[in-house]
Amino acid sequence: MIDSYVRWAILGITLATFITRSGPHLLGARLRIPPAFDAALRFAPACALAAIIAPDLVFTGDTLNLTLENPRWVAGVAAAVIFATSRSMIATIVGGMAFFWLLKAWFVG
Amino acid sequence: MSESSVIGAAATSPREAFRHGVRDLLPAAPGVFAWGLVTGVAMVKSGLGVPESIVMSLVAYAGSAQLAALPLMATFAPIWLIVVTAVIVNLRFVVYSVMTRQHFAGLSMNRRLWLGYLVGDIMFARFSALLERQPDYPHRIAYYFGGASCNWMWWQVSSIIGILAATRIPVSWGLELAGTLTLIALLVPLCRQWPVLAGASVAAATSVLAHGLPLRLGLALGIALGVATAVVVERGREEA
Repeated sequence: MIDSYVRWAILGITLATFITRSGPHLLGARLRIPPAFDAALRFAPACALAAIIAPDLVFTGDTLNLTLENPRWVAGVAAAVIFATSRSMIATIVGGMAFFWLLKAWFVG
Repeated sequence: MSESSVIGAAATSPREAFRHGVRDLLPAAPGVFAWGLVTGVAMVKSGLGVPESIVMSLVAYAGSAQLAALPLMATFAPIWLIVVTAVIVNLRFVVYSVMTRQHFAGLSMNRRLWLGYLVGDIMFARFSALLERQPDYPHRIAYYFGGASCNWMWWQVSSIIGILAATRIPVSWGLELAGTLTLIALLVPLCRQWPVLAGASVAAATSVLAHGLPLRLGLALGIALGVATAVVVERGREEA
């Protein structure tokens, strides 16, 4: 990656951290979250995560690939099931990667 | 997890409260460690250099935002979109900071900003649980600082181990996928409510269908339609 781009990106993420974590402490103590913003606060993080995860799993390069030759989406589904049943992040990561490697060895060789 | 905590015993000194905070965080430590390790590996495997990854980990201190930014950075998405995405993924910290603010009110601005920087999912949950059971807990700031600084250290150590180890791991292992799997582990518990599940599904589908749009705008579109769907579903359920 280009160095200056990476530097700006890191600066940008740092700014995002500062705004969200320390920002509320900068504002006066009486300020409350407006009700209209409340829905965004509750729903946006899950929507953002889903919108980031989905393309990362189903695209190989720029082509949509929902066959077993793309083991990433299967590993993703497996990871979701593992977390829903075990509530363990370690089991989710290890189990998901195990699915990924097994399918890759099986179908892609 | 809360069964093993020391909640219930009032601290007699800031030092003891600090120790309580550290002890209450320990049950979550293995999970934090695994998450940090994976974030470190994923940063390097997505193409970031080792020094850049370490700087990003230290200044951003936001695993989910860092992981979310990686696919965007890999495709040279515009910086503003990376900032907006990171803010959205971090929105939960706004809630945490708004809710902890009253407890830090007497402190200097400098200290409040540092305590804000240290807020995290786990320590916020512990702090809330403590104050719910013991609204008069003395030395609560020392308690918070103990757990939050311990979480920070644990996270940074595991991230840096991941970053350094990643250079020895072959690209063909596809370990950057572990970063996405971590995000799935964060997403699943959020989807226990119907409106969130509906919104997340629409966001995912939109983001995939609109993947061809320039500047990764499919992501922004997905989030907007997802939130709108969640709001509509919630209203429908309230009226039903």
